[in-house]
Amino acid sequence: MGMSVTAQNQHAHHDSIKNLEEVTVKNAAKKKIETEMKMAVSVDEFLSSSENISFIKRGAYAWEPLLNNMSTERSTVTIDGMHVFGACTDKMDPITSYVESNNLAAIDIKSGQEGSLHGSTIAGSIDLKRKSTPFGLQKKWNGTYQTGFEFNNKQFFNLGNISYSGTKFVADGSISYRTADNYHDGNNNEVKHSQYNKFNTSLGFAYKTSDLSSLRLDAIFDVAKDVGYPALPMDLWLSRALITSASYKQLFEEGLVRVVDTKVYFNAIEHYMDDTTRPENLVHMDMPGWSTTYGLVSKANLKRNNYSSEIQLNAYDNLSIAEMRMYPQDRSERTMFAYSWPWVTTRFAGLSMNNSWELSERSTVNLGGSFGVNYNYSKYIEFNWIFHPGAPQEKTRFLPSLNASYQLNIDQFNFSVGTGYGHRAPSVSEGYGYYIYNSFDRYDYIGDPNLKNEISYEGNASAGFANERLSIQGKINYFYIDNYIIGKILSLGSPMNYQSVGVKGYTSLDYATLLNMSANVSYDILKHLHWKGTLTYARGMDNKGGNLPFIRPLSYLTSLHYMYKNFGIQTSVNGDFEQINYSPEYGEDLTAAYAIWNISADYSFAINKVRSTIQIGAENVLNEYYSTYADWGNIPRMGRNIFTSLKLNF
Amino acid sequence: MKSFNFWIIALLFAVTSCTIDKTDYEAETGSEVPESYEFKEAASFINGNYKITIDALNGIFYKGYNELHLKIVNTQNNQELTSSAVTFLPILSNADGSKSSCPHEYNLAYDLTNKYYIGYSVFTGESSTTASWKLYISFTADNQKYEINKDISVAQQPNKNLNMTAFAGNDGEQYVIALISPQKPTVSENPLVAGVYKYNKPTTPAGTFPDPTQFSYTEVVGYTLKLDPRMPEPSMGNHSSPNNKDLTQGNDGLYHGVVNYTMTGNWTLNLIMMNQNGLIVKGTVVPTDHTPGVEGVKSELYIDTLF
Repeated sequence: MGMSVTAQNQHAHHDSIKNLEEVTVKNAAKKKIETEMKMAVSVDEFLSSSENISFIKRGAYAWEPLLNNMSTERSTVTIDGMHVFGACTDKMDPITSYVESNNLAAIDIKSGQEGSLHGSTIAGSIDLKRKSTPFGLQKKWNGTYQTGFEFNNKQFFNLGNISYSGTKFVADGSISYRTADNYHDGNNNEVKHSQYNKFNTSLGFAYKTSDLSSLRLDAIFDVAKDVGYPALPMDLWLSRALITSASYKQLFEEGLVRVVDTKVYFNAIEHYMDDTTRPENLVHMDMPGWSTTYGLVSKANLKRNNYSSEIQLNAYDNLSIAEMRMYPQDRSERTMFAYSWPWVTTRFAGLSMNNSWELSERSTVNLGGSFGVNYNYSKYIEFNWIFHPGAPQEKTRFLPSLNASYQLNIDQFNFSVGTGYGHRAPSVSEGYGYYIYNSFDRYDYIGDPNLKNEISYEGNASAGFANERLSIQGKINYFYIDNYIIGKILSLGSPMNYQSVGVKGYTSLDYATLLNMSANVSYDILKHLHWKGTLTYARGMDNKGGNLPFIRPLSYLTSLHYMYKNFGIQTSVNGDFEQINYSPEYGEDLTAAYAIWNISADYSFAINKVRSTIQIGAENVLNEYYSTYADWGNIPRMGRNIFTSLKLNF
Repeated sequence: MKSFNFWIIALLFAVTSCTIDKTDYEAETGSEVPESYEFKEAASFINGNYKITIDALNGIFYKGYNELHLKIVNTQNNQELTSSAVTFLPILSNADGSKSSCPHEYNLAYDLTNKYYIGYSVFTGESSTTASWKLYISFTADNQKYEINKDISVAQQPNKNLNMTAFAGNDGEQYVIALISPQKPTVSENPLVAGVYKYNKPTTPAGTFPDPTQFSYTEVVGYTLKLDPRMPEPSMGNHSSPNNKDLTQGNDGLYHGVVNYTMTGNWTLNLIMMNQNGLIVKGTVVPTDHTPGVEGVKSELYIDTLF
């Protein structure tokens, strides 16, 4: 990944200012937001096509991305480098749920400490890159419109984009609306509370302030309403996000420093759960949450001869608030109130650096590091004192990180080895959460402000071979994580949520280990017939040799893609083997193996100057009834789903 | 540019307004608890040249524990009497003519710093048509004993965190437990203070009314109150809290412990009273099971609170 950044710099340099914004687009072109099977996908569907991403699914909407089989606390998820934090204590709103595929250009995934550029991490980073049109395109106005219908859950979506590219001024706009009913599982039974409605719009303006500088304003506004979470005891009434930024970019034609890009940002998220749709619930509860973040991200790219470097300064201030109010059965009685996030402030400032030296045509050395300061403040610390008497109201942590890697290319072979070391601070829930109900293992979770930093020691390696027709790539990484934070049953306290069976406190294991492996093969059988196969395996263990939860069993994906003129057809089979290494301690049970067959066909044509593509396909063609290891509460996945979509470019 | 301005204005509007307002936590915790406690005159008496005033919280005698401040002023020269021997005895008269008292401080000591005589009374019932309270006060001045009495009114305790309970122990004695603090609990660790009193059964026949030996209460010494706070609300399923501390007697004679309230609402302080020898005087162990939908079982000895 460090390499592609270097390439960008050179590009910017050669083309000078004319294509100031094109640099990102060039990169984006390699990673269109579509999968092999489907051209109109949601952000979640797109992410799931990456082999080191898996998902915890609580329904049809807002899947929680796991990077290297680690939950979102262990990765940094950013939008153009901006930190955004969800406002739901039950993780109903990962950051990926606040963007839409038509305002993204690419998703940049970095594994392990390589991802420390955006802030301290263990698992790596996921950066959602927004679309930005370059200055001075020959065609001033560009637009895209996508629409589609999916039969299983009657999902109907309309996505529109428009952009203007002048020599001095650029504007991007997008708007989208998705609506879906309940989906049906492989037994054709309706999965209740799995509907969703999402509206998303974004605007961006850039103005060229001089030959070598530009100013850019961006905003995303996202509203989700009436979203069902079949795996949870509650649904979503409304979530709303406003994500704004202003950035200034300066290029330099000479010298060591090539680009400096500085951005200030603000985002506000509100999230209101709703249980009035679940009359079976014994207790009516209000659970609103708010998350507000201000931040600064400033990035400089340096280059001299065979040395290039990226330096990034990250600073943000986040306030997370979550309330719960339980209503007694006799509504005239006093309601019961508590904070599940007692006004927790997180401030972070960190400086990160990635350096790269091309030792020769064949080999490159990367050395990176970061140092961050993380500060937490719990306004209503008395909530935390109930379980942890005398815990400090304020806590400052130092988060260092280091990584090194070496890449070698010999003819058709490529090799890399790398290592990393990094700290992370506990998340708001892990540090300060208060009776957060986890419907997976059915425990109420309590945070501990005194948790130690998680410390990761990481090693990774890859080897590959590629010729004109065949490409083989194998990757492996291993994490040894000290003070691994996980919930352990507490002997004190009693459940607050009526569905709960006990209280768990976030505690540090001495250590845990995680191994991820993947193998990719692609082969061009004929000129227009391509085959691809992926195999992944992961194993996570705690310090006593027990299994960690949500670790993907051996899984595979194999696909065939055939193109003839304007016609394309593709089919794939993917599945997991039986999840042998499950963790009953964390609410997991044995998940059976499954295999899913998908097929789709598309046709491209032009009407006047409008380039159009139409696609029709089916997922889970055989209507298999299944649920995966990461389906919250074993809710069944979608059965056969026929999808159609139309895309127009003008 | 017009659309740009519009967008900015729309943005500002969206930023500054939340769809649902955040809870005002300070107001939330105070909503069920009467506010602003200060000592005001609750009763005054005139006897000859002397005026006696008794101050209580809010100027009202409530059922439960009342701290009392008493002043005696010579109305002739406006001098306060500071070295008098003051006695205080509350008497409850029932419709059938029977008379009883309640835990109280009989001999009031003068507090030099605050310049009043300090005492307390734990009124065990509210005034009604069938039950009336009367205060019997005596003091000495100019080597002369003054005795006065006056009807007072005892009001319902509006603050459930100052509730009390009166009961007969397994040892056949009459006890009273009254909550004194916290008056305004929060979702946190709350230091819990209670007074524990025992009726001293008279050993001598009654003299002239009011004979203090017939109406004597003392603070119980060296007992332990085992504490198990729970939320009685059925939907809370017998919810409890961790890290509570049993109440034991402090140097001030009162009983001190810790109660953790995990959320606002109705709570029951389930108690087991044990004497110096660890024998249970009153109270039963409550089930600890999580029983959603079922109202929590209370100990034989309990006090309800609400905040």
